Amino acid sequence: MEITFWGVRGSIPAPGPETNRFGGNTSCVGVRSARGELVILDAGTGIVNLGKKMMTQEFGQGRGEATILLSHAHWDHIQGFPFFVPVLIPGNRFTVYGPSRSSGMLEGILEGQMNPHFSPLYTLKNMGAALEIHAVGEGQTFEAGGLKVTGRLNPHGTTKALAYRLEEKGRRSLVYASDCGYTQNGPTTEVLELYRGADVLVHDCTYTPEDRAERLGRGFSSILEAAQAAARAEVKHLVMFHYDQDYSDEQVDALMTRCRQMLDEAGGKHIKLTAAAEGLTIRL
Amino acid sequence: MRVRFWGVRGSLPSPGVHTNRYGGNTSCVEVRIGDQGPRIIIDAGTGIRKLGKDMANAEFGQGQGAAHLLISHTHWDHIQGLPFFSPLYHKGNRIFVYARQRDDTHLRAVFQSQTEDPYFPVPFDSVQADVALRELIEGARFEIGPVKVSCTRLNHPWIAMAYRLDYEGHSLAYVTDTAPFRDILFEHEFIQSPPEPGAPMRPDDARKLKVMRDGVVRLCEGADLVIYDTHFTPAEYRQFPHWGHSTPVDAMEIAEEAGARMLALFHHAPSRTDDELDQILLESRRSTRKLDVIAAKESMEVDLATPAAAAAGEH
Repeated sequence: MEITFWGVRGSIPAPGPETNRFGGNTSCVGVRSARGELVILDAGTGIVNLGKKMMTQEFGQGRGEATILLSHAHWDHIQGFPFFVPVLIPGNRFTVYGPSRSSGMLEGILEGQMNPHFSPLYTLKNMGAALEIHAVGEGQTFEAGGLKVTGRLNPHGTTKALAYRLEEKGRRSLVYASDCGYTQNGPTTEVLELYRGADVLVHDCTYTPEDRAERLGRGFSSILEAAQAAARAEVKHLVMFHYDQDYSDEQVDALMTRCRQMLDEAGGKHIKLTAAAEGLTIRL
Repeated sequence: MRVRFWGVRGSLPSPGVHTNRYGGNTSCVEVRIGDQGPRIIIDAGTGIRKLGKDMANAEFGQGQGAAHLLISHTHWDHIQGLPFFSPLYHKGNRIFVYARQRDDTHLRAVFQSQTEDPYFPVPFDSVQADVALRELIEGARFEIGPVKVSCTRLNHPWIAMAYRLDYEGHSLAYVTDTAPFRDILFEHEFIQSPPEPGAPMRPDDARKLKVMRDGVVRLCEGADLVIYDTHFTPAEYRQFPHWGHSTPVDAMEIAEEAGARMLALFHHAPSRTDDELDQILLESRRSTRKLDVIAAKESMEVDLATPAAAAAGEH
């Protein structure tokens, strides 16, 4: 499994010299399975650059197939989709999964983004590629790109966001848990089981604990919740993700230093720590 | 009247080292009228987030501010910063939002659906500021305090509005997003593929475009500064004439004909690098003697009351 970060920011893209190193694009992670198939986690603006890369491969000739797993439908997790060029090319096929009561409702949510008041594309039907859209329920397991995928819901402010576990058969595992607004008890038992022993846990690290305390209602984690979840679930590698749009590169550096201490204090001395940055690739 | 650019990009914010100098935020322009005049903002792309933080340092942080937001159209890149505009979240602030009246629904419904569940956690109707919507019909004229505002429609999918602001003998025209007034008439239909180059237009469409173009030239007449959609290079336009954007050549043609003084290239394509923009600006300057051409960049401030050469400063 090969994991590449294309967008690591939360809420809204944050361009400017102060975000050059970690990047200003919103959430998107590309996963290439051992079988060579592509699974994309979230469709924030980072997916646009991933799309440009894909266009140099089979997707440029309308012969590509990929899976997109959406954690939820807040703008910063879907706003790159209309600008994701492979989806405009007839012949390409995408299977999209996300949390919703029904597949039709999830399609309606994606369709709402394309409404002609907001987008010159007018409707998903103008996008060219074939889209197959599936709602994912709590605890549901399915196969995508040669990976076993399981989804579990975390509370996220006024809504919920799916965390996904991706497993290569009998081999490596990745958990993607963005936008986690745990209660004060932290993750539920079921969610901890989803995270359990993962080779890589990509986890919401939107805030410092102090900023989180002031913005509890928004339903994000700080580095403290991330470190504690990683230690409790005994993962091997924690990757910080989804930084607040106002945090400069220096502030993310400081987040990482503090997160290391928090991991150590939570009993996770052996857990590797990385701060996700645009362009970073992790090979498992 | 002073103009400050907070977002100059089109389509999509474009973070990265290649956009550091001109900026990667989508469209947002601030207009300051003297020291006491009304606060006017044109468009609410991601650039409005930092403008809002700046405003919250003063009276908008205490819920004592009033601002007027003119929206060219409601495509994402012109409204996506609005939920992150902090003056909305202080009780007591008054925000007046002006945009074109819809043919199929009311404006409030459009803004409500931007932030409804499951897209955004804070619904439009729950913000603390007093937000009043003003629906505009094409050609409307109105006043914001001492500033006279006029508008005319543009050639863009689902229709955009251009605005002109006049104050104490100085004037600004904001003309984005628009295709040139030839080749294709954009209204409410989706245009699947570009027409054959040089294919004859329907006479009705050609007449409508002529009227639209005349309206834009009139809007820009004698303006100190025209801010214009120059998303495309001429080669890109030939490939994508059905996307509804213009080139610097189109912008110069209109601004020269209108006898404008300065032209700001604006709504830069997301993939355009700083170095490419330098080159486009250089070429544009070479091809006009009548206009003072600048390329809009974040933090650039233009004072319309000063001579062109000294007008554009950076902060």
